[in-house]
Amino acid sequence: MILMIDTTRKHIGTQIAEELLHNGKNPAEFELIDTTGMNISHCAGCNYCWLKTPGICTIKDDYAPILKKINQADQVWLISDTHFGFVSYQTKNIVDRVMPLVTMHLKFKDGQMRHVMRYDHQPNIGIIYTGDGDQAYLEHWCQRTTLNLGSHSLGVFPSKYRKEAISCML
Amino acid sequence: MHVVIINGSPRIQKYSNTEKIIASFTDGLSEKGASFETHAISNRKSWETIQKAYIENEEILIALPLYVECVPGLLLEFLETLPKKDEHTRISFLLQSGFAEGCQLRCGEEFLAKLPGYLGVRYGGCLVKGNNFGIRILDEEKQRQVTKPYQAMGRLFADGDGFFRVEAKKFTGPETFPLPLRLMMQFIFKTFAKKMFQKAAASWGCTVPLDEKIWETNSSCRE
Repeated sequence: MILMIDTTRKHIGTQIAEELLHNGKNPAEFELIDTTGMNISHCAGCNYCWLKTPGICTIKDDYAPILKKINQADQVWLISDTHFGFVSYQTKNIVDRVMPLVTMHLKFKDGQMRHVMRYDHQPNIGIIYTGDGDQAYLEHWCQRTTLNLGSHSLGVFPSKYRKEAISCML
Repeated sequence: MHVVIINGSPRIQKYSNTEKIIASFTDGLSEKGASFETHAISNRKSWETIQKAYIENEEILIALPLYVECVPGLLLEFLETLPKKDEHTRISFLLQSGFAEGCQLRCGEEFLAKLPGYLGVRYGGCLVKGNNFGIRILDEEKQRQVTKPYQAMGRLFADGDGFFRVEAKKFTGPETFPLPLRLMMQFIFKTFAKKMFQKAAASWGCTVPLDEKIWETNSSCRE
């Protein structure tokens, strides 16, 4: 299952979904979530999802069903505008709020102190971005983030090279 | 020197670890005769005041917790509201995290080092230190103890060299812990730490294991 989460102002996810279909991808094997008009808060760092109601975010907004889909997906593609060379705050909020998938517990793995993940299955994550992204930094960030979540980076692609990202989804 | 200090944590100030760190840091500033004002972005109502302080002052310090390898989403949103300024203004950063080893904060530091360039201002360096997760659950006396080292960094900052001096670099502590220490910590994680976290959770009203899988089992913590 492939999940695309589009926070861009130009809704470029729609184009990517069309291109996927055009390339013969079965529509049952991917889903596009366009966050336009959705109410998705930032993570407020309350720690409740670790210590009070483990696995459950205390913020009740449109994020809950997205988190469940992230947990089930094999690939999560963040489709984002860029600011300061980095993903937009809307996309960062979506990533910050994956903490219910992580537990309070710690361990050393592959030379890194990590949190123990709550579930056995971890999605790989990739980025498709618009604008003036800092390619090298986005790659580093995506690698570090997935390392901590016990998965792998699918790569970082400017939207003009999205065909390469699409080939990873086929 | 007058320092505008912005707490970039999204957590409400009362429970903010970053806030406790700032309190100790400013003790050091005061000792050296530097003045300061503190703001927190967790309350959106104060954003206009903070933007004004940012525009009118030249010595800015943003203190923040690491959120998923970078800046918390809320701080990113706030930063997008700041107007461009010139090189008379300097932004320095105080980056803290729960993870203890310095290597865990470098990806965040890398972003912060480039950020002032995007805002048109100078970079004053980044003070990096982890191992701060527990501050919130300590009593006030212990909080003062564990944040005390930041006071010396406040004194250092008042000298005017940002966080570029060797003392600031050393403040991070080890990049990675030596293997024997890691093995000992691994043992602690699996035993005492697990118990301690579960105990802390119980005091917050949690009745299920912290590694509960809510989407596969039933539990009383479930909505």
